[in-house]
Parts: sequence; structure tokens; C-alpha cells
Amino acid sequence: MIAAVRSSAVARIFLVAGFAISLSAIPASAQKKGGSVTMGLELDIPGFDPLQVGVYDTAALSASSALFDTLTYLDAGGKPQPKLALSWSASEDFKTWTFKLRPGVKFHDGTPFNAEAAKANFDRQKDPANKCRCAFYISNINNVQAPDELTLVYHLNDPSVNFPALVSSYANQNAAVHSPTAWKAKGDDYNRNPVGTGPFVLKSWTAGDRMVLERNPDYWDKDRIYLDRIVLKPLPDAQSRFASLQSGEADVIWDDEADADNIQKAQKDPKLTVHTYAGSGAAVYAFNTKVAPFDDVRVRQALVMALDRKKMSQALSNGLSRPASNPYGDGSWVKCKDDGALPEDAEKAKALIKEYGKPVEFKMLVTATPRGRAVGQVLQQFWKRVGANMEIEQVDQATIPPRAFMRQFQLTPWRIVDLADPDIQMYSNFRSGSPVALANYSNPELDQLLERARVTADQDKRNEDYCAISRLINKEAIWFWTFQNTYYAMSSAKVKGLPKMYSGVIDLSRVWLE
Amino acid sequence: MLTFVARRLLYLVPVLIAVSLLTFLIASLLPGDLAYTILGDQATPEKVAALRADMGLDQPIWVRYFGWLGNIMQGDFGRSFRTGQTVLQAVTERLPISLELMFLAQIAALAIGVPLAIICAARSGGPFDRFMTGTAFGMLSVPTFLSAILLIYLFAVELRWLPATGYVPFSEDPARNLRFMVLPALTLALAEWPGIMRVLRSDMIATLQEDYIALAKAKGLKASRILFVHALKPSSLTLVTITGINIGRLIGGAVIVETVFALPGIGRLLVGAITTRDLIILQGVVLLVGAGFVLLNFIVDMLYAMLDPRIRHGHA
Repeated sequence: MIAAVRSSAVARIFLVAGFAISLSAIPASAQKKGGSVTMGLELDIPGFDPLQVGVYDTAALSASSALFDTLTYLDAGGKPQPKLALSWSASEDFKTWTFKLRPGVKFHDGTPFNAEAAKANFDRQKDPANKCRCAFYISNINNVQAPDELTLVYHLNDPSVNFPALVSSYANQNAAVHSPTAWKAKGDDYNRNPVGTGPFVLKSWTAGDRMVLERNPDYWDKDRIYLDRIVLKPLPDAQSRFASLQSGEADVIWDDEADADNIQKAQKDPKLTVHTYAGSGAAVYAFNTKVAPFDDVRVRQALVMALDRKKMSQALSNGLSRPASNPYGDGSWVKCKDDGALPEDAEKAKALIKEYGKPVEFKMLVTATPRGRAVGQVLQQFWKRVGANMEIEQVDQATIPPRAFMRQFQLTPWRIVDLADPDIQMYSNFRSGSPVALANYSNPELDQLLERARVTADQDKRNEDYCAISRLINKEAIWFWTFQNTYYAMSSAKVKGLPKMYSGVIDLSRVWLE
Repeated sequence: MLTFVARRLLYLVPVLIAVSLLTFLIASLLPGDLAYTILGDQATPEKVAALRADMGLDQPIWVRYFGWLGNIMQGDFGRSFRTGQTVLQAVTERLPISLELMFLAQIAALAIGVPLAIICAARSGGPFDRFMTGTAFGMLSVPTFLSAILLIYLFAVELRWLPATGYVPFSEDPARNLRFMVLPALTLALAEWPGIMRVLRSDMIATLQEDYIALAKAKGLKASRILFVHALKPSSLTLVTITGINIGRLIGGAVIVETVFALPGIGRLLVGAITTRDLIILQGVVLLVGAGFVLLNFIVDMLYAMLDPRIRHGHA
């Protein structure tokens, strides 16, 4: 991605010749057509109508990436490539983005895909009367226009340099393009009868059980679709999910770090493949800098220095968790020679606490789950060693966001999710006055860097700004990061061609069987 | 008999009201506001207040309870906020699977428990009896989630005789349906047969002490005839009771077994509703399951009365 944007250093215009670039880099001769793949997911999929479900979870995303197309997709380098859009360009201020659409594409129900249809999707989500929870994620888009059949124009409230990678590249509740005819005709039933333009068509769906997708014979890129059929099944129990993979009931299963034992078992099994994606973002924690003892930078720094992330990773996930020293992570295009991470130094931490002089006692919000409790207990031990007393306050997962928004916490867990660009999350997490600037911290230098980074086209310069931001946050220790986001899937060794699992999404639409 | 049925039916009313009240209270008093759950990472104070007003969550709890109860009286159990499915739709789709599972489990438990009980009772105190009583005690202490995983590893991963997870509707392919059902039903049955065996065994040992058995023996009847006809029949009353009680245990077991074996039944629906905080589904399903359990026990009571005249005449 860095190289790509740099090559057009002056350019505000990125033109990509769509037909020439294939969706996968592997030569076509290696792949075999046909076959069926069964995937075991963790949860039941609630449905696909954004108005009904609000937000797609990982299970829904895996299905939607086969059922729907998006304007762009991310290649293995994290760079946006043409899908329903063939090319795109930005205005000088990066507040207007124009997409040229692929002609001749049809939805599964025969409705033609065009700019009007794409605009209808947006308008439906944005309409205040529809009260869609999905509207939250497109609040930066002011309106969408369709000046002609194949031109789609986005008008943004705030500039976005990396818009095509961010808003249109993965099949979430906002970017998946639905057939307007279908949602109008089916009404309430549309949620469980989704119609897209994607490479697979929904054949049948039994509640709580199987969802069967079959190859779309009229797909615009059908030569690069190999499977005849994809079956998605919820397998909620981690042990029996893994057993189903071993015994062949499932060919691919979703997994996460909490299941470290089975992941490590699968790594040693020649019949299985473990797919890992080291994503961007991290598991993070915010100090409320307006309340004691965190109004003193020495206390915050001491607590961060007291961490031993390697030991923590051993304790939580047999060492699978990857320590984080900045908010971007290895999966991000932001690479810092110096991210300003504080040293892990218990002695220094002790000295800082001593220097502070008063007893350090505080409460930390922890999700009332086995994982949440384990993290809380490990942190508690680290901090006890350096003379700080943390009390664990267990709360329901859903209680954390409202408590955080109302600043009713001293220390709260949070998450920076895997996105193609750091801007959205960094800006809202650290710009003074933002509802999610949880640290209650305000610094003109930080604000200025954030403002500049989001409107700079030159990726090298942006990279420098984001590294400066990381150094500033790490020095002030207003937030800290424990582990980077890592996503897992396991499959039979026969399953080939699984793309990078951006945001943890397992997209089976272009895999093949060996 | 009629007054007996009427009296029993009358008892049902307060029980059902208590079930509905408890269900509603538990769901409402769970930590974490429903508005928080729905709004997720956008739960700002303003949005929370607006959604609470929208859903009537700002009203006092008793107003909400009677509102909910009133809707149920009209057949409206509510809708999931996640899927838009109504509680009744969700339950009717999934109930047959759970019923089949419980039915098969009960049959399997009886098939293991009854013969063993008879053999043990016939030679009570003997080495086989002592061995089986010990085994039954051991099996009672094995939790369902453990036996489920052990069965999967043995029969699905190692031997590859049976599938580890999954489901096919009976109407689509009866043979495959049963293949998918064997391990889940067996898992539940493993937890159930010890209870059946132990109770029936002691009951039969008592029956075998009765005078009419001695008479039958004196008449020179065959031992097998005495056991199966003269002793099992009166003792089988106990089986009716146990079966009734077992249904409650089976529902509890089904929650775990359906999750492990990925069967799309009521238990899975409940677990899903809990993990996703789908309170409307949760309280609707718990109420329906609770009411179903109460009614089943009522039917068992009736059966019992039919089989044993002493009960309907109040002499028991």
C-alpha cells in the first residue's frame, strides 16, 4: 500500500484499470473447479438486512463475503482493488470520491446493478426514519449521488485519504450491496432471504443449522470461482468444532486465541492447515486522566512499565498472543522505527510509584467472562509487584461502552479493530473532545498531528505523523496496548487459496480444493 | 376422577403465573441493560435514553411485566431484536429436534436401565449387583459435557463410525437423521440410566418380598415370568414418576448436548439467546419450556392416577 500511494505522489487521482487486474495472483492452471466446502462458525447468523441486524458479526461476514460484492476489495498488500467499482478518484480536499462502476452486473434476482441501486443502499441506511444502527458507521458520509448509470459520488463531512480501502472493501453491514427490488418485495423476510451480486447464491437456510450457498452461474468473474457449493454451520462448542474438523464434518473452522491448545495441536497435524492473519489494531486500555491517581503521568507510566507482555501471553494463550507496543500493529501499513514504547521495567515502575508518594489504589473495569477475568488477574499481579493495588470490577460486556462514554471508570478495556487505515479510530480515540477520547486528555500537539495525518496524501509523511502520535501517546501513557489482533482459521490441508482474513473474516468465495 | 382433574388443573394457574413472573424478573434483573446490548459500541447516554423510551424500558418493571403478560395472552410472545424472528416461530422450528433428542435419550436410558435393574434385583447383593450399583453411581457423577466430548473423540475422531456434529431433518433423510442423533441421545442417556436403574432395582427388590410373589414361587411359576410379569408391572409405576422427573433433567441436559453436537434445538436457542443477550427470546423460551414442563408433569400425574386408583381416591 505504501508503494502504491507513493507512486502517485502528486496525484489526487488513482485510476485503476479494472479488467486487467485479476482477483488473485496465482496462475489459473493451479486451481481445480468443483467441490463443496463446509465451514464451522462460532455463532448462528442472525440475518443480513442492515436495518434489522444493525451490525454484522464475524459469522455473518463470512457468509456475506460470498453472497455480496463490494465496490472494492483489499489485496494481500492491503491495497484497494476493483470489484463492483472499476476505478475511483478523489477531489483535492479528499471530501468527494467518485467511483466508476462495472457495467453489466446483475443481482441474483436479475435486478441490474447500477449507481442508482448503490445509492439506494446508502440512502436506506442513512434515512433517520429507518433508525439503522448501521448509520453510525457511515456518519462521515454526508450524501451519495448517482449522476449517471455508472458513476457514484460520495460527499464526505470530513476528509478521508484512504476512503476506497476503508468504506467499501469488506462485506460488512454498510458496504455489502443488496438488491433494492429484493428488500422492497420481501419486507420483513428480506433479513433471512438476502440477494446480492456475489459469487454465491443463497440456496437454503435452516435456522440454527445449515446455510447452503451455491455458485452463481452468471457471476461477472465466474472463471475465478472454483467451488460449487459452500455450507456454513454454527458449531458453538470449541472442542466439538475442532473434533468436527478432525473427523471431516467441517473443512474449515473459525477459531481464536482462547483455543490455543487446539491451534497448537493443528499446527503439528499434517492433514490440517492453520491460517493466521496478523492484523492491525490491538487490545487496548484507557486511563481516565481526569481522576486520581491517573491524573499523574508517573502513575500511568509506572503501570505500563510494570507489564510483562511475554509472560502475560504465556499465561493467557500459551504464548500465542503477540505483544503490542503501539496502536497500529504489524498488520498496519504504519511502520515505526521508534514508536516510543516505554520499557518493561518493574524497578523503574516501583521508583515512579515511590516518587508519586501517595498510595496507588484504583478500580479497573473487566468483562465478566473467563477471558476478561484472566486478563484482569494477570494485570493485578503485575501491578501488585510494583506497589499498586488494582481492584477488579466485573461488568457485563455491553456495560463497558456506556460506562466509557460517560467516563464512569478509572481504567477500562477497549479495542482497536483491524481496519485498512488508522485514521478513523485514531482520530476518534485521541482527538480532544471526541466521545471516545476515553482518556479525557487534551493536547494541542496531538490534535494537530491527527488533523494533519488525515488529509496528507503522501503515505511516507502520514507514516511519520502516525509514529509521532504513537510516541506522544506512549510517553504520556494515556492509553496502553497489550496484544495485537491475530485472527485464526483452521482447515483441512486440501483447502487452498484462502485470502488474508481482514478483520477476521473467512472469505471462502475464491478457495479451491486440491 | 373429574374433580381430581379439575383440582389439579386449578393448581396449574398459580404455578404458571409464578413461572412467568420468575422468568420475567430474572431476564429483567440480569446485569446489563438491553439498550446497552442493542447499541453496543455506540451506547452514548442520549442514544440509550432514546432507545429505552422507544422500547418502553423506562417504564416501571411491573408495567412492563403486565404488558408482556397481556401480549402473551393474545398469543404474542415478542420478537428477537437480532433476527426479527418471533418467539413462536423460533420455538416451533426447533422444538421437534429437542423432542426427538429427548425421546431417543429416554428410550435409550430405559433400554439400558430396565434390564440391568431386573438382573440386579433378581440377584440382589450378588457380585453383578454390587458392580452395577457402583458403576451407576460413577456414571451419575460424569457431567454431560465430558461424556459428550469423550464419545465424540472415540466414535467420530478415532473410529470414524459416527459424525461428530451436525443435523439432518428426519423428514429429509431418516437414516442420516438417526446417525446424527445417536451420539447426542447416548450422551443424555448415559446420565439418565443410572437413576432409572437404581430406583427400579430397589422398588423391585421390595416387590419381590411381597407375599404374592412367594405364592407365585410356591405355585412353581418360572422365575423369568415372576420377574417380568408379577414383579415388573407393579414396580413400573415408579418408572412413570422417574420419566416425568427426567424430562426436567433432559431439558437441562439438552442445553449442553445440543451446543456440543451443534443440534439446532431449543437448548441451542436458549444458549444463543443468553450469549447474545436476546432477552425477548430468552424470557419467551424459558416461559414456554417452563409451561411445557409443568403441563407434562400434570399429564404424568394423570397417568399415575389412571394406573393407580389409590391416588385418585386420595388414599396414597
